[in-house]
Parts: sequence; C-alpha cells; structure tokens
Amino acid sequence: MDRRKFLALSAVAAVGLTIAPALQPAFGATKLEEEVSKRLGVQLSQIKEVADIKLTAPTIAESGANVPITVESTIPIDKVEQLWIFVDKNPVPWIADVKFTPMNGQVFFSTRIKMGETSNVRAILKLKDGSYVMATKEVKVTAGGCG
Amino acid sequence: MAVGAGILRVPKEAKKGEIVRVQMVITHPMTPARKDPQTGQQVPAYNLTKLELLFNDKLVSTVNMGAGVSANPFMALTLKVEESGVVKIVYEDNKGGKWDKTAEIKVS
Repeated sequence: MDRRKFLALSAVAAVGLTIAPALQPAFGATKLEEEVSKRLGVQLSQIKEVADIKLTAPTIAESGANVPITVESTIPIDKVEQLWIFVDKNPVPWIADVKFTPMNGQVFFSTRIKMGETSNVRAILKLKDGSYVMATKEVKVTAGGCG
Repeated sequence: MAVGAGILRVPKEAKKGEIVRVQMVITHPMTPARKDPQTGQQVPAYNLTKLELLFNDKLVSTVNMGAGVSANPFMALTLKVEESGVVKIVYEDNKGGKWDKTAEIKVS
C-alpha cells in the first residue's frame, strides 16, 4: 500500500469514526419510542403536545404501585378516536388504551397505574382526522412498584 | 374477594342527556411476567387484558390494558345517557377468565 492510498483510507476511517456516534440514537431507539411506533404506527417525535388535554397525576407519588391518573380533554368526543397511556421508564411503557365513542359524552378516563421509577406519564389521543396529540406530566416516585 | 369480582357504580338516577360517571373496581392481582426473587423461577403474567363498557348492549368504550395497571384496578369513564337502561361491563384476563357486571340507570 503506497502512502497516498494509506492517507485516503485513514481519512475515510477517521470520518467514519466521528460520524458513528452521531448516528447511534437512530439505531438505539428507546423502549418507549419502539412501543409507541409499534402500537400507534407513528414516531413519538411527530406527536404534538397540546394544552387542551388535561393529565392529572400527583407530582410526588409515595408508592409507585398505585399512582392515580386522570385524563380529561376539552376536545369534543366525536373528534376523538382512542387514548393511550404510556409511562416512559417502565419495563413495559404501555399501560392501557381506551377506545371512545360519541356515547361517552366527553373525553374522560381515570385509573391507577404502576410506576417503576420517576418518569414522565404520557397521554396520547388519536383524533378522527388521523393526527395525534399528547400531554405529559412528570411524576416523582419515591418507592417503585414493579415486580 | 375472589379474582374477577367487580363493583360497578353508577348514579341511580340521571337527567336526559346528562353525562354520568361510571366507576368500577375489579379484584385482580395484575402481576407482570417476572422472575420470582425466592425461587428464581419465571412466573407468567396474570392480568386483565380487556374491558368493555356497554349501555343497553351498545358498545361505548373498549379498554385494553397490560400489567402496568395497578392491582385491583379502578377505572372511571363517562357515559352520556339519553334513556333508562342497563350499564354493563365485560372484562377478561389472559388466563381465560371472563366476567360481567351490570347496573341500572333511571333517566327522567
């Protein structure tokens, strides 16, 4: 191998090494992102956060085994199709999904969920026009409740 | 209470067109798949998977859930009532259990 080739090759290698770490996030999608794209068919980054979904959850939960959450929205029920609830850092981020019909009268769902550690809770709504909107809230957990 | 026993609570009376809250509690362990810390054996998941809310046999809502919902799940949904009728919930778990529970609403 002559000097010219060697320099060209090492230049390529150097570029490759510097680019590789930058590409990492694209391959190492988090569990949450995988779960969202699997269940919803869209990327999490494409979902807008809006103010007209109200996600009520405690700021600090003493026990992660029982975190009460409530999702309400002023979006009319006949424009809403489905609701998903995710917890970012749970081993299984998907908690539940709810299909609504106009007979519900309004968007309202309340339940109690488990949280392994402090993380964001997400409520994602699918609207009839095919778009997705969401609300997030961070819940601090002092004792985990998984397993 | 036995696994699968449920409590369904709705207001006894409502006005026509009113949005009422339907609350339910179901007795269920809701355990995820995990390794038993004592024996090291794999314990399969045991949780409710699906719950349907019906009003006069018309489907109102379907809730799909995993083991991320707390043990003895509590849930609340809303229902717009236009006529008297029967609220019914049907729920099942991943081991083939299936139960239902009904309650009546009088609309004036």
